[in-house]
Amino acid sequence: MKQQRFRFKILALLLFSLFILLSLYGLYSINTYGNRWFAYARNPRIREQKQSVIAGDIYDRSGVVLASTVDGVRTYQPSEEARRAIVHLLGDDEGQVSNGVEGFQTAYLYGFRASLAERINSLFSGEPRRGDNVTLTIDSKLCTAITRYFSSRSLSRGKNGAAVVMNYKTGELIAMVSLSSFDPMDTSSVTAESEVYWNRATQSLYPPGSTFKIITTIAALDNIENIASRQIICTGSLEVQGQAIRDFGNAVHNSLTLKNAFVRSCNNAYAMLALTMKDAALRRTAESFGFNDNFLFRDLVVENSAYPTGTQNEFQVAMSGFGQSSIGVTPLHMCLVGSAIANDGIMMEPALLRQVTSVGGSIRMQFEPRVYRQATTAANAAILQDYMKAVVSSGTGTRARTAGLTICGKTGSAESSRNNRAVTHGWFVGYCANDELPFAVAIIVEDIADGEGGGSTAAPIAGDIFTYLRDNRDLVTQ
Amino acid sequence: MQTKDLGRPLSRAVTFFYFSAFMLLFLRDFRWQGLALAFAVPMLNVATIHILPKLFPSDKLLLSLTNFLCALGILVLYDTNPTYAYSQALYYFVGLIAMVICIYVVRLIRSFRMLVWPMMAVSLGLLVLPLLIGQETYGATNWFYIGGISVQPSEIVKLCLVIVISRFMADRRFLPWLVFAVGCLGLLMLQKDLGTALLYYGTTLLLYYASSGSLWITGLGLAGGAGAAMLGYHMFAHVKRRVAIWQNPWSDYDNAGYQIIHSLMAIASGGLFGVGLGLGSPRTIPVYHTDFIFAVICEQFGLIFGMCVLLMYVAIIWRGATTAMAARTSFHGLMAMGCTVMLGLQTFVIIGGVLKLIPLTGVTMPFVSYGGTSLVSSLCLIGLLQGVASLNEDDLLEDTRLANYISE
Repeated sequence: MKQQRFRFKILALLLFSLFILLSLYGLYSINTYGNRWFAYARNPRIREQKQSVIAGDIYDRSGVVLASTVDGVRTYQPSEEARRAIVHLLGDDEGQVSNGVEGFQTAYLYGFRASLAERINSLFSGEPRRGDNVTLTIDSKLCTAITRYFSSRSLSRGKNGAAVVMNYKTGELIAMVSLSSFDPMDTSSVTAESEVYWNRATQSLYPPGSTFKIITTIAALDNIENIASRQIICTGSLEVQGQAIRDFGNAVHNSLTLKNAFVRSCNNAYAMLALTMKDAALRRTAESFGFNDNFLFRDLVVENSAYPTGTQNEFQVAMSGFGQSSIGVTPLHMCLVGSAIANDGIMMEPALLRQVTSVGGSIRMQFEPRVYRQATTAANAAILQDYMKAVVSSGTGTRARTAGLTICGKTGSAESSRNNRAVTHGWFVGYCANDELPFAVAIIVEDIADGEGGGSTAAPIAGDIFTYLRDNRDLVTQ
Repeated sequence: MQTKDLGRPLSRAVTFFYFSAFMLLFLRDFRWQGLALAFAVPMLNVATIHILPKLFPSDKLLLSLTNFLCALGILVLYDTNPTYAYSQALYYFVGLIAMVICIYVVRLIRSFRMLVWPMMAVSLGLLVLPLLIGQETYGATNWFYIGGISVQPSEIVKLCLVIVISRFMADRRFLPWLVFAVGCLGLLMLQKDLGTALLYYGTTLLLYYASSGSLWITGLGLAGGAGAAMLGYHMFAHVKRRVAIWQNPWSDYDNAGYQIIHSLMAIASGGLFGVGLGLGSPRTIPVYHTDFIFAVICEQFGLIFGMCVLLMYVAIIWRGATTAMAARTSFHGLMAMGCTVMLGLQTFVIIGGVLKLIPLTGVTMPFVSYGGTSLVSSLCLIGLLQGVASLNEDDLLEDTRLANYISE
């Protein structure tokens, strides 16, 4: 009997621990995913609230009205070009674009965060309740300018793609553009399943191609002794498991230092680096840059990037060294990678909300920079800063050069297949090293012409963006 | 003794809370039924707290906790669908009477030795019935109609299971309870009522551990259960689907993931403090009246209140375990613990499913979910517990009397 009593106690403790687990899990999941679950476009409560609450306005960082409610109708900017440039970031009234500001910030815009006093007040005043006004970190003029940069050059004109501009010291997103686009005030010509609704900057996973060499280089610095001072031999073709790995334009680089291999973007050298340090080491570094992490940023929903977690064969490992195999990354995440190098190894959390104010004028939320993770050491970041500077001054990225600024970057040409056809995407990931303009960019131009690369397609757009930032310094850094 | 003094203040709080809550809902739509419930539900609470202790020693705290949960169910049902609330209130009344009967049964029939064999036969017979004349809902064939009311036999058999296995385990007779438990489990599998099967299995296993203390065989039973679960996963397509939905409900919004997504959206919409009684959109949650009633509670009253509801169950488990530990015979101890484990596991399984901690299995939330058989059987389990508690109290009084007698 006595022993039985003791065992009853154990059973009771077992049940208690189950309930503690339940409570902790409940609190944790609401704390972590609550806003994502709530803001899900199909939440019927939001539709209901839209009947009774007037949505708040959305402004960009300089006060331009991006969205407002006029006589019960949601209206966007007067210029169609401007509307198209920002629609993916902003979202639309009908929720076609998933997780735009209009959808993801429903809690603010439709007054779900209003205090009890405010609710009661509006109940008695008889006036319809208004949601909170949201000010974004975005410069809408730059977004519009970026769409023009895409169409102003023959190699990127009419192409799909994406561009992300971010302040690497604070994490504020200054621009985010996805092409092709649509007009939120006239969707009659767009079919329901159309890919124009897709936000390529946050939802599309692309192979990073040679831009991934940033990460492979960091991994090599960490895992291969004295790699920065050793010579790597490139014969132009490397045989791995019976398949040949060749360089862009079948180049033969002979003997190279790590820096030269980076600046000239030598695939053979990077395949060898990956094979030397093994898959696990490369994956570890990729994961320290946020690959395979569940991104739970407060202001935006970003597709998780993937570095293969299963066992890869030798050929796949070699391909991973220069960002092929089955690595997938969003342009926004690639912008974070560039930002981490620029910011001495510290990756800031990307942010979209600058301020939220209630109709009464009280501040509901104010932006504060937050660190997302320490991606690498300051020493490693410094080496990469040097390499990336050389890419733009004398390597594959010279077309990103901007007068008066020190631009650093890395180009890439990523191959993927679409509808059983091999396509090449041009990448540029880079930043401005000048202290007064701490901005990083990531640009992808989809399906570029044969023989072209990131250096000829994406880098010029980066140059245009940096020129804009230089000429509008006050606007973007205020 | 201090803990029992908590019963009366808690009971007063329960009375006040439900009177004002039902009055609030009455003021919304001025239905006379609302007014009737505003008086009837707190009255039932007051009545149990005042009458039962006069009949036999009672655990007032346990009574108040049970009343709180039952009334919470009626309240939420009245807000979402009044017709459900009326029948639930009726079953609450019936359940309280059944509870009193159970208490008397435990007090009067002390050993149950003569009763267990017929109980086993009746139980197995009851479990076969849905397979012959049953109706299928949500993939399981676990209930049937009789005289216009639906009956879920597995809820009634629950009581028999606890009594039967406690009796045989206390008598150290291994085979009879094993055959009975396996028989019940087999029939539940045939009904495809996997949630209830899980409860029966868990309760039997834990009671076996408590009675024998053999970690070896308990571990073996656990491994066997895990093996059966794996087998079930690979054999039955609907089990595989349930697990897939649990892992990622968002991938199939319109079909498989619909229920759990709406549950999560409701809980997230309520936030920590809830949208308020009578507000929100609880009726958009599928099966809001049974499986997902906890999501409704969380949306209206908030997650913190939801955690407090969990705390109520924890308190019931605590009272149950205390009763079991104070029991004078092994049989009564096992029976009290069996009721406690059954209620505790059932609550964990359904709320874990609603919060997406574990895959969803369609069991009811004890006392709260809509369903006559479920409510009555949960109250009967409390009846068995109260019966054992009253016997303990009697024995304690007898001890003191004897001690005084000897010292004189």
